[in-house]
Order: sequence, then structure tokens, then C-alpha cells
Amino acid sequence: MMVLWAGGPPHSEEPPSGSKARPRTGGDGQQDTVLVVDDDTSILDTVSSILTGEGYHVVSAATGEEALAAVARKAPALILLDMRMPVMDGWAVARALRAQGITVPIVVMTAAESAKRWADEVGAEGYLAKPFGLDDLLATVERFRGPGGRAN
Amino acid sequence: MALFFGALAFVILASRVTTLSGTTPPPWLIAVEVGVLMAMPYILLRLVDDFTQLRALVKRVAEVGFVVGVIATAATVPALPPPVTLYIVGYFFVVSLYCAIAFIKASRRARGVTRRRMEAVSLGSILLGTNLVLAGLTPLAPEDNRAILQALGQVLGLSSAIAYYLGFAPPPILRRAWQEPELRSFLARAASLPRLPTTLDIVRELERGATNSTGTAARIGLWQEDTSKLRFWEDDDTTVDIEPGRNFAGRAFELQRPIFSANPIRDNPDGAASYRSRNIGAVLATPITAGERRLGVLAFSAERAPIFAVSDIELAGLLADQAAVVLESRVLIDHATRVRAREEATRLKEDFLSAAAHDLKTPLTTVVAQAEFLERRAVREPSAPADLAGIRRVVRESKRLAGLVGDLLDATRLEQGRLIGEREPVDLATLAQEVCAHDAADLGLCQVEAAAPVVGAYDRRRVEQLLQNLVENAKKYSPDRTPIKIKVWQEGAEARVAVEDFGIGIPAADLPRIFERFSRASNVDDKRFHGMGLGLFICRGIVEEHGGRIWVESEVGKGSTFHVALPIANGRRLN
Repeated sequence: MMVLWAGGPPHSEEPPSGSKARPRTGGDGQQDTVLVVDDDTSILDTVSSILTGEGYHVVSAATGEEALAAVARKAPALILLDMRMPVMDGWAVARALRAQGITVPIVVMTAAESAKRWADEVGAEGYLAKPFGLDDLLATVERFRGPGGRAN
Repeated sequence: MALFFGALAFVILASRVTTLSGTTPPPWLIAVEVGVLMAMPYILLRLVDDFTQLRALVKRVAEVGFVVGVIATAATVPALPPPVTLYIVGYFFVVSLYCAIAFIKASRRARGVTRRRMEAVSLGSILLGTNLVLAGLTPLAPEDNRAILQALGQVLGLSSAIAYYLGFAPPPILRRAWQEPELRSFLARAASLPRLPTTLDIVRELERGATNSTGTAARIGLWQEDTSKLRFWEDDDTTVDIEPGRNFAGRAFELQRPIFSANPIRDNPDGAASYRSRNIGAVLATPITAGERRLGVLAFSAERAPIFAVSDIELAGLLADQAAVVLESRVLIDHATRVRAREEATRLKEDFLSAAAHDLKTPLTTVVAQAEFLERRAVREPSAPADLAGIRRVVRESKRLAGLVGDLLDATRLEQGRLIGEREPVDLATLAQEVCAHDAADLGLCQVEAAAPVVGAYDRRRVEQLLQNLVENAKKYSPDRTPIKIKVWQEGAEARVAVEDFGIGIPAADLPRIFERFSRASNVDDKRFHGMGLGLFICRGIVEEHGGRIWVESEVGKGSTFHVALPIANGRRLN
């Protein structure tokens, strides 16, 4: 029987050294910020490191509360949002953002069968059904990232 | 019964004729009249015997008393000397009183219609006794009062005759009126009967309703498919099985029609002893059948045949039909419950699959996306140093995936009851040491206390998995660097293991469900602790398939102790 140990502090995500990726910028020439929200640290780290490696500025959040704080500080161009999280889940995050009048595009990340329905429920632009591959991830981010900008 | 009523009619008629004609009757008529009058108490006694058991001695004494009285009367008529009169009056009085008491006793024992009937008969006996005593005393009374006494006697005689008639042969209208309240209450309850907790409860209620409705003791025998016998339940819940075709119940079941016996001892000599000891003098058995389904038999028994009326066979049929409806409803309800349970099991299985799929997809996401990214990077920049963090993530999540798949397979094997494989002698003390030492970093934090080897016949791999799960669980829910203790000892015929931690503990409300599938204590932080909630479910499966027990003691904030007890006896055989 394999017993697995997960948890512990997340590894700090530096772009793998020697990365030649050019920075991804929006219309204003500023590097685009993508906010990744997931309670599973492996997914959080993986997605963050991939997007960083592809030239995005990545902010990661492991809880709904962290996500809201990050949105206020960093004004991301896109939010990748996990739905099933303890305490404050994806629905609550989306509701809170809309209530504040923040219209950052959201892409829902979920392992549930009902990914598309959930995306519609929270008014998300798109969804990524777990397990997703590299191409899915990058194409989706490229397609839905908005203009970004400073938060109110 | 006819004899009794004929004699009564004769006495009343004769006295009416004498009174109306105003003539003194001839001596022979008086002699016959007195003779018939003398016979009355005895005939009454025989009637009592028709409804309830009388001792033979009582009957013999009454017969002798009757003969003595007749001879004395015949010898001295028409002028009866006082001693003869006194004897006759005394005889009337004693026998009538005895009959009245016997009927009152019978009415106390009886229920429903029979009770009403016996009460009417008791009243008749008291009235008749009074009448007879009055008739005997009339000649001794002063001349002036005789007419009043005679008139009173006639009223009493008529009243007792009516009471006897109502009791012995109640007209259908009265019978129905007496049955109505009992039937009504039985039918009112019938609708709720199928929902009683057990079939036996239903049988008891049906028996009670049928007993009250008919005034005879009712018993229900249910057909048992597995033994092909009719099963009756005694008052103390012991069972009596009857083969179809045997006894009256078995015959009624086999022939599918009512069977009546006014003399069960003669008709079924096999059961004679039982009928005698239970004081059963008449039996009526009716099949309980719902359409084509033969459910059982409704059997009535009474002390004496006349307690049954002709209409009772019809009533028994109706009650049996009602019982069939109730029992059949019960079968349907049970069936519906089973169907619901199956649906529930299916739903649980679907929940299980969807939860499992969800839990597998999470590590898979990392494995797929991270591996693809590593590949892309290796192609793009072959000379760049390895992305160690990314590689470690793939390795870690692959292992997590392997663990989850293993748990899922184990849970499936457990459902099929084939979790345990080949057994061999296993020393739990040594095994505990190995499990503790498995992770060198934790050496010293995991301590084993065992005074001696504890050997039993177990599936080594599974018991090791059990101990590993419990130790990992203990580590998982304990703060870093707090110790974990494993105690191994023998207690009677059981090997005992206790895994103790000083961690966060389990809330009391969660304890009952902790060994269930997907169950997790409410104070577990999903973010920190991965897993499907199958670990303890599998632990319980391993223990129970070994014939053992597993339980937990815990206090929030203080820690938890998981206890395991495994039978050890089969280990000795192996050694």
C-alpha cells in the first residue's frame, strides 16, 4: 500500500532558469498578470510554473480569500478559478468579484462533469476540465485573457 | 338445548292452563309437571356442559339428586311433605347457582361475542334459579300471596327464557350488533398493521382482532417457503411448525377451504393430548390466501362447539381475507423497501464513482500538464538544467495517483468480500516494529510497546497495510515531532493492537461514521490532507474479514487511539 504525503509549504515558483520565453503583454505593453486559484498545491504550482515559463506574470492563491485579496492588489487580466475549495469556494469568489463590479474574465477549473454548467452559473468566460493538457491550458489562457489594469 | 326450551315451555304453559281454567289439575299432571320441573336444573347443567367443561363428578351428583327427587315426588304426590319440598327447592337452588357460576366463569374467560353470550346465559341462569326457587316456595306461601308469586314466577321464567335464547342462539342481527364494535376496531387498525416493525407484530395484532371479533381463540400460521411448513407462534414466541395436510390448519391450507371440527380429539387423534391440555373442544381453520398466493391459515379454537355459530365460518373467511390483505401489503412494503435500498446502493455507487473520478483527476492534471511542459522545455532548450521542482511534482502526484487507485481497488475487493488472501503465521509485535521503522526519519517518534510476540494466522500484506494506514493516519493528524505509540499484546483469545497519537483528535459527532466510506472528521482540513476517505474503511474491512473488531477512542485536541482486536486461535492451529 502506497501512503502518500502531501502538503507542506508550496515550493516557491521561480521560472525555471534559462527560460527563453518572451513576456506576454497586453495592449498597453504591460506584462499580463494571471491569477491562479486552487486549493490543491500541486496543481497550483504546476499551472503557475507553466504560465510563468510561457511569459505571464502569475499570482497564485490557495484559498478564496487569498484570491480576492490578490485581485484587489494585482488587477489580473484573467482568473483561473478552482470551484471546489473549502470555506470559500469558486462560486463565492465569483459572486464577491461581481458584487464589487470587477469584470475580470474568469476561467473555471474543475474535475467535475458539470464544468460547463458551473462556468455558466458563475458567468465565467470559459472552463478547463481537469485533467487538462498543456495545449488546452495555454490556448484557453490566450483566448480569454482580458485587458487587465489597475484595480479600483 | 331444544329439550331445555321444550321443558321450559311446558312448565310455563301448564301453569298458564291451570291458572286460566281455574280447575285443580289432576294428580298425574302435577306429578309430570313436577317431574319436568325437577329435570330442568339437570338439563341446564347439560347445557353448561355444552359450552364449557364440567367435571364428570358434578354431573353424576346432579343425576342422583334428580332421580332421588323424582322418586320422592312420585311417592308422596299430591301432598308433598315439607322435607320433600325443601329437598326439591334446595336441589333447584344449588344446581341453578352452580350453573350460573359456571357461566359467569366462562364469560370471564371469553372475549367478544362469546363473552356477551355467556353473560346473557349467566343472567338467564340467575333468573331461572330464582324462578325455580320461587316456584318451589309458592305452595308454602300464604294463600293470598300465591297469585302474585305465580305471576312473578311467570315473568322471571319468561325473562330467563329470553336471556337463554339470546345467549344460546343469538339471532343474526344481535350477533352482528355484538360483533360490530370489535370488527370495526379491527378494520380501523388493519390499515396501519402492515407498517408494524415485524411480521410477528402483525400476526399478533391480527390474532387479537380475530379473537375479539369471533369470541374464540384465533391463531395465525404463516406459510414458510424455506421449510414448506406452516409456522404458528405461541404466546411465549416459541414456534410450532405444521406440515400441510396435518392437523386442521394443515388440511385447511392444503384443501384451501375452511375445516370445522366439533370434536377435534376424535377427528385428529394425534393432537388429542394437546387439545385436552388446552381445553379445546372445537376447531375452525380457514386458509389465508391472496389471489394465487397461499399465505397461511387462520385457526380458531373454542372450548365447545356451540360457541361457534354457522355464520362464524363466513366471518372467519372475511377475517382471513382481511389478514391476507394486511400480510400481502406487508410483503409489498418489504419489496418496495428492498427496491429503495437497491436504488440507494446504486446511487451510493454512482456517488462513489463520481467522487473517485474527481479525486483521480486532480493529481492527473498535474501529471499530464507538468509532464507535457517538461517535454516542451526539453525540446526547446535541451541544454537548460532540469526543472527539478516540476519533476518532483510529477513523481509525487504519480505516487498519489497510484495510492488512490490502490485504495479504490481495495474498496472494490472489500465490497466483494475478497480483501483477505492467504494467511500465514504473523507476529504482530515484529510487524509493528517494521512498520514503525519503515520511515527512518520518524524513528524514535514511533515507538512499539510489546512484551512478547503475538502470533496469529493473518494475511501478512493486509495486516501490514492496516498498521501502516493507522500509523500514517496518526502522523497525518498529529503536529510535527509528536510521538506515536503502538502497543501490541494478547488478551484472552485475542491479539490486541492500539495505535495512539497526540494529535487533533476526532469530534464525538464524527466517531460513529469514521470507518465509513468517504467519511472524514469535520475538523480535517481538506487542503492539507489529501485522500479519498477510504483509508479507515479499508482498515475496518481488513480487520472484519479477519473476524476481528476495530474501534476508536478520541478527544478533540488530545489525540486518538485506534484499537484493533484480532482472533488469535486460528494462529495456534497453524503453529
